[in-house]
Amino acid sequence: MSVLSNLEFFVVEALRSIRRSGLMSIVAIGIVIISLTIFGMFLLFMANLGNIVAFMGSRLDIVAYVDKDLTADAAQVLQTSISQIGGVDTVVYVPKEEAWKNFREEFGAKLDLREVMDENPLPNSFSIKVTSPDVLPKVAESVANFADVSEVRYSGKLIKQIQTMVDAVRLGGLLLSVLLFFATLLIVVNTIRLTVLARETDIYIMRLVGATKSFIRWPFVIEGVLMGIMGGAFGIMILKFSYESVLARIKDALPFLPVVSDPNVLTLIYLSVGITGVLLGMLGGYISVSRILKEKG
Amino acid sequence: MIELKHVSKLYTNGVEALLDINLHIGKEEFVFIVGPSGAGKTTLMKMLYREEVPSSGQVIVDRVNVTELTPDQVPYLRRNIGVVFQDYKLLPRRTVYENVAFALQVTGAARSQIRRHTMQALELVGMLKRASSFPEELSGGEKQRVCIARAIVNNPPLLLADEPTGNLDPQTTFEIMELLDKINRRSTTLITATHNKNIVDMMKRRVVQLEAGRVIRDQQLGTYSSS
Repeated sequence: MSVLSNLEFFVVEALRSIRRSGLMSIVAIGIVIISLTIFGMFLLFMANLGNIVAFMGSRLDIVAYVDKDLTADAAQVLQTSISQIGGVDTVVYVPKEEAWKNFREEFGAKLDLREVMDENPLPNSFSIKVTSPDVLPKVAESVANFADVSEVRYSGKLIKQIQTMVDAVRLGGLLLSVLLFFATLLIVVNTIRLTVLARETDIYIMRLVGATKSFIRWPFVIEGVLMGIMGGAFGIMILKFSYESVLARIKDALPFLPVVSDPNVLTLIYLSVGITGVLLGMLGGYISVSRILKEKG
Repeated sequence: MIELKHVSKLYTNGVEALLDINLHIGKEEFVFIVGPSGAGKTTLMKMLYREEVPSSGQVIVDRVNVTELTPDQVPYLRRNIGVVFQDYKLLPRRTVYENVAFALQVTGAARSQIRRHTMQALELVGMLKRASSFPEELSGGEKQRVCIARAIVNNPPLLLADEPTGNLDPQTTFEIMELLDKINRRSTTLITATHNKNIVDMMKRRVVQLEAGRVIRDQQLGTYSSS
């Protein structure tokens, strides 16, 4: 007596029940749609925020100044050592002549440096890029420990502030999602409970003729799942269309902003929204019928 | 078939529904349980399919100690017991066929089996022609026939009828009792709770009389009142 062989019966019963409690079912599905859409928006927002932070992080590098009289060979050795630190992406050696040249090219038009100084005042340095902004402070610390490194600079403060903000948003969003999940669950449970009450005689007869508890439960769980699927499908459609139109506008107006447009990431987000909907419905159906089964033993 | 040993039922509100009931009912017997309302007839019936559990004593049905069943085992007990109600308890939005088939569907029976057994049961109670009608289109007697068909569709060895003719006129009552008698003769143990004097006196079967939760008479070929 597997679930599969009875699936037709369960689905027919579930559809019968959704149809019978028409308006209430529509309201419940509507609320599932709204909740899932908000949840999906939060996921999209977080993905974009993460993208922006990563983008900014990748542009921030560590500059390590080394002693003036470091030989080219010693610099080579140091470069290899730095590149072996965990979290280091690339290490580029910038000799003082190149740094001076870059500096003059950048500012030379504005002032004649020769008037101020003749000699190159800049030290040799390494420009270090890291794999993620999180590791910046750690890498900087490790680099500073090398004896030949005289000074290390990076925009740690800015990164830290951004990271703190992202963490706060993430936590707030998570709490909001949990809250939303339970609020929606409550509505789904109550909607299905109405149909449970309407079907009390059905349930009584089912128990009387020897239906097992799980058998009685299945149609209600499937009813919830169907509501979840419908809510999820609409939610995903709303998200997809609105995100795509926003995306098009942002790309037009702010082309430098690193928005998430990777179809894999987006599919994953839409999939999570759908799965959350199904879970919501499943749990809602299960809870709503459990109480009546418990009461009646 | 059925054995009740020192069965008592005391409700939490202090009502003593049954008091030290001892009863043996053999296979294929036809037993009337009689007595006024509140005598404990319905409670006694509910004990048999474990809708109620006794406060003390043991209930044995078909060699199974019903009192000791876990909740998970109860459904399997009930598949061997058919129950007929005074108010029929038919599902209003389902046809006659669906109402009867429902009892088989919920036990996970195969589709071909459901169809065959449902048709047979409807044939037996004489409702095959009304298979696609809805309960509201039926008379009281017809509803009771459908209720009986549902109770016997999976061929239970035991059929319980709680006031099966309580809502029916004398002619229909007679027809329903004939039908129950026919089912009993197909080797189904039948227990009928009633306070209809006429049918008990007419059928002359074993009569168990309850009063205030006690058995005060147990008589073969009995009548409604002791004479």
